[in-house]
Amino acid sequence: MASQEKMPIRGRSRSRGRARGQDPGPPGILSREPAPEVAVKEVGGLVGRGRQKKAPVPFTEEAALEISAGFRQVKIGERGGRRRDFHDGGINTRLTMEHVQTSKTGSSGSAIQLSANFFRIVSRPQWVLYQYHVDFKPPMEARRLRTALLFQHEQVLGSAHCFDGTILFLPQRLDDKVTVLHSRTRNGEDVQLTVTLTNELPPTSPVCLQLYNIIFRRVLRILGLQQIGRNYYNPKDPLNISQHRLTIWPGYATAILQYESSIMLCTDVSHKVLRSETVLNFMENLRQKCGSHNFSDICAKELVGLIVLTKYNNKTYRIDDIAWDQTPFNTFKRGDTDTSFKDYYKNQYGLEITDCNQVLLVSHVKKVAPGQTPPGPALLIPELCYFTGLTDKMRADYTIMKDLSAHTRLGPEQRAGRLLRFSSTLNNDTEALGELQKWGLNFDKQLLKLTGRVLPPERLFQQSRSYGYNPRTADWSKEMRGLPVIHSPPLQNWLLLYTRQKSREAQGLLETLYKVAAPLKISLQKPVMIEYEDHPESLLRTLQHNVRAETQMVVVILNSNRKDKYDCIKKYLCVDCPTPSQCVVARTISRPQALMTIATKIVLQMACKIGGELWSVEIPLKQLMVVGVDCYHDIAAGKRSIGALVASLNQNMNRWYSKVKLQSRGQEIMDGLKMAFAGALKDYYKFNKCFPSRIIVYRDGVGDGQLHTIVNYEVAQIVESIKSIGQDYMPKLSVVVVKKRINCRLFEHSNGKVLNPPPGTVVDSEVTRPEWYDFYIISQAVTFGSVSPTHYNVVYDTSGLKPDHMQRLTYKLCHMYYNWQGIIAVPAPCQYAHKLAFLVGQSLHKEPNVALDDLLFYL
Amino acid sequence: MNPWFKPSLHRQRHEFVIDFVRRNKPKKVVDLGCAECSLLQKLRFHRQIELLVGVDLNGHKLRKKMHGLAPLATDYLQPTWNQLCVQLYQGCLTQKDARFRGFDLATAIELIEHLPLDDLKRFCEVLFGYMAPQTVIISTPNSDFNQLFPLTTAFRHSDHKFEWSREEFQSWSQNVCSKFGYKAKFSGVGQAPPGQEQTIGFCTQIAVFDRLAAAATADTLSDGAEDAFPYLQVYNVTYPSLRDRNILRKTLVSELLYWAEKMKNEWLEKMTTGDREEANPVEEKGKREEGAFEEIFWTNDQEPRCLTLHRHVAVPLLLLWNRCPNLREMSASVANLSQLLIDVPQIKMNGLRSAVIICSQERDLGDEGPNDLLDSGYAESSYVREEHWVLGDE
Repeated sequence: MASQEKMPIRGRSRSRGRARGQDPGPPGILSREPAPEVAVKEVGGLVGRGRQKKAPVPFTEEAALEISAGFRQVKIGERGGRRRDFHDGGINTRLTMEHVQTSKTGSSGSAIQLSANFFRIVSRPQWVLYQYHVDFKPPMEARRLRTALLFQHEQVLGSAHCFDGTILFLPQRLDDKVTVLHSRTRNGEDVQLTVTLTNELPPTSPVCLQLYNIIFRRVLRILGLQQIGRNYYNPKDPLNISQHRLTIWPGYATAILQYESSIMLCTDVSHKVLRSETVLNFMENLRQKCGSHNFSDICAKELVGLIVLTKYNNKTYRIDDIAWDQTPFNTFKRGDTDTSFKDYYKNQYGLEITDCNQVLLVSHVKKVAPGQTPPGPALLIPELCYFTGLTDKMRADYTIMKDLSAHTRLGPEQRAGRLLRFSSTLNNDTEALGELQKWGLNFDKQLLKLTGRVLPPERLFQQSRSYGYNPRTADWSKEMRGLPVIHSPPLQNWLLLYTRQKSREAQGLLETLYKVAAPLKISLQKPVMIEYEDHPESLLRTLQHNVRAETQMVVVILNSNRKDKYDCIKKYLCVDCPTPSQCVVARTISRPQALMTIATKIVLQMACKIGGELWSVEIPLKQLMVVGVDCYHDIAAGKRSIGALVASLNQNMNRWYSKVKLQSRGQEIMDGLKMAFAGALKDYYKFNKCFPSRIIVYRDGVGDGQLHTIVNYEVAQIVESIKSIGQDYMPKLSVVVVKKRINCRLFEHSNGKVLNPPPGTVVDSEVTRPEWYDFYIISQAVTFGSVSPTHYNVVYDTSGLKPDHMQRLTYKLCHMYYNWQGIIAVPAPCQYAHKLAFLVGQSLHKEPNVALDDLLFYL
Repeated sequence: MNPWFKPSLHRQRHEFVIDFVRRNKPKKVVDLGCAECSLLQKLRFHRQIELLVGVDLNGHKLRKKMHGLAPLATDYLQPTWNQLCVQLYQGCLTQKDARFRGFDLATAIELIEHLPLDDLKRFCEVLFGYMAPQTVIISTPNSDFNQLFPLTTAFRHSDHKFEWSREEFQSWSQNVCSKFGYKAKFSGVGQAPPGQEQTIGFCTQIAVFDRLAAAATADTLSDGAEDAFPYLQVYNVTYPSLRDRNILRKTLVSELLYWAEKMKNEWLEKMTTGDREEANPVEEKGKREEGAFEEIFWTNDQEPRCLTLHRHVAVPLLLLWNRCPNLREMSASVANLSQLLIDVPQIKMNGLRSAVIICSQERDLGDEGPNDLLDSGYAESSYVREEHWVLGDE
């Protein structure tokens, strides 16, 4: 778990594996190939394939505009050969937008002094990296051998070097442009190596940056940190949450990149959750809990998609399947002989497998060593594996999450302190410093200081009344008390379902609903009260009997929050019999002192589910359609992805069209949403009798390293579906990529204290990227922990909108999420799309009924 | 490597050593001339080894490779009783270093052929005479085998100072044995093609020297007066082990809390379902472990401070001890267990120190929290509010 702070709307229920993107893995055919990477041994230094991985992206007209910054063809291959560019380097979208060439900064608001979790890199000014090509005669196949042969000449090449098998990087120039060296293999074969200078790279070139990152990872290792996934963690000082057998390792996420005006190291505190029990222990416990009759289903559901660490190497594997027919006695080919897993681990690693009946785990290893056929899936022994991270079930477990956040949540003061401590550890470790200095690297010791702006708070409108809110708390639940909402269809025909045990709660809720609805001017008639039996089947039958075409709303009081009943209600009422519904868990309405607050929220939620409009902010642009797109990756259900699109239908941004597409693995999200996009335009026409003249798309759910797909592919898809309306229809279009899970943190310094910056803080310099039109906004307020800014990257923009207006409009949209009487972290359409995708991915597994398209039924 | 060996020759040499380690279980092992540390990399998994040391002349190489010898992430997750310390030294093997005496096993894999004969002589004195490990494994190329290679040069590697035939190696070894009190056995890895096994032998010849019992005391104190430490330590890492009292205590506390929590939940379950399902008392009893659960008791009366705020459950140590084999293994006795838990801030105990006091949360919170299944807005808001309450403002 990356340290995620709890705050009002952060998509806490985010899907597992989102950040991993949609990396279509190789089709997995289970073979009896060796699971253990028998031949793989730690080879130090930097070896890898010097081969470029081309993005399999169809190149379109629009995409042709996108020009990468160059040097993309040269990449340093690393050990393992596979590394995606998680930093989305080399995508130069700003070039294509005329109006932000000279400046992409806004002007509204008041200045605020901030610091950010960035450390400047202080290098020699003329720092240049020398790139050499190394030729072997006779040609040598094995990369390890090539490396060994080359570094017989360390005295010529120097101790700082980076070699991936073909390309050699040195921090200093060799005397000659071409250097010929002679080596001998252990077989006595003479090899001639020709080292030719091919390039001199400035420190800002992507290759240089990549190299900085590689070197820095070495340094983290020197500091005694362990790599797990992408980040580094300290195993020596763990926090234990013993009740759940969880261990948390504190660590850091780091990246060195070219930011707006300088190269900087961005570091954030990260926490890794590990489990101090093996996968086998976990499976045994699970079997005990759920019995053996549908154990295999439950087990697969829990395990697939999880990442494990093994006892015999430091690699992580993702569980893709369970091989129910395999045991540690099964054999694989090792050299010429068949070896059983049991013997292999005993002989190689001294690891005794005690349970010989355990089934094996399957992981599709994606990495392919050069010159080899792709290995079959790796088979892993549960007894030798440990989980990392959390399961979805744990994420949904309130007590676990509460305990976790108590340990991992850091306030701004603590976080800034930890970052400074990291900086001083780095600067006081002679070995680490030595490694950096070999390459002439040096980091600033202080956090980066920068100036941001705080946008003025918005005014909210409800009919003729308007009001403001406390700018620090960004919440107006108190202010809107007793004010009539803009519009709410009268609720005349609705059902209230409850079980016999909870009839008192039902009665209490109903009375309170009447009480709170009156001042809000939400007209509420008496519902039909129906008792149901507490079983999914009988609940479904009750629904089938009582929900009619004219039913406007179904409210169900659930005895507990068992997922099956909830799913059953939602499936029936969202797919088969389209009716807005509202579930309430009995426990939450059992506390009389909180009932008024809760009933208010419920009645507001009910109102917007049937097409009510609660409040609005002033949107100065006319004929504007705002679109939110998000996706959800359902790993358990065969890696299916769900794309959701939500589009505004009126000027006030309080009616929304929505569409969901389920797609198979590996398919791009926009393929399905093209139709949805056209649908949204037609629906807009129905509401407004015209098509929008401006469209702004907020695209959420983009993983690290996936930006190129959006830029090169999705934008074109959107343009195409606009064209499908008519050749002469040319609205202004902006596409903004929204990212919440980023490592950037901002701090406000006030009276010697470190605080979270207030809602409305905008940063559009220093920590942005020069090749993008991007900015950060902190729109939400958090009570605990440190706030995380949201990153907005405008990748396509024909609107001509000034950056200042783009920022302000984005901020306004963060006020428009009706399920929260406050400002949220992302524009409302993103959050709506997220909710919708999540509902479909978690409960419906089908596309909702078209009759619900214009309603916020998914709230 | 030579393409006709599978697995590669170098791996076969390592496997020879590993095989020896598995069979003889030496506790202190040193690899002389460890170079890339690849043998150490493999040996560290064999956790009957407690001290694993590598020496090489090339300190740069060691520094580059040493981090690969750090414990694995998983070594920290469930520490075992095995202890392991890995150390690397930069040093010249013709010098005596007092830290290298008393090893159970010393290996010199493909090392001696890189030493000029003078150095080899001194190396022998240091290794067999001074360090005097219980066992020495030495491997070196067998020049008899070279006729199968298309060698253009005298030796297989340009840095080799010599390559011996089987006879030469064996006579050198016998010499060493008689001088320092060892007994040698010869074998090798890298089989010659069928039919030539006898005439040519192994590609790599290996001698395993065992120190004779009689010689055991001969050298021990002779140089004692002038202990010197000329080797430079470049790396030293201790693997997490339960023998470290801090780690033991941490692991113990974790395990204890886990089981206490689990037993508390089972107990509460029993309390709530128990009165409803009295129809089956016999079966219920059968499930209980020696009637143990009756001993868990509510302790509203124990801690007056807690009483006013929460309810607590006391889980007797004895029950935990009986239930969890890991606890037994870690603490050896209940008294010891109780002793180990003194001053552990996470653990509350009763006055007699015979039971762990665990807070019993509101049952409703149960497995699933309020933030999951509800229609969201309300769930989201209630979650936030819960936190207000937890911290007690408002």
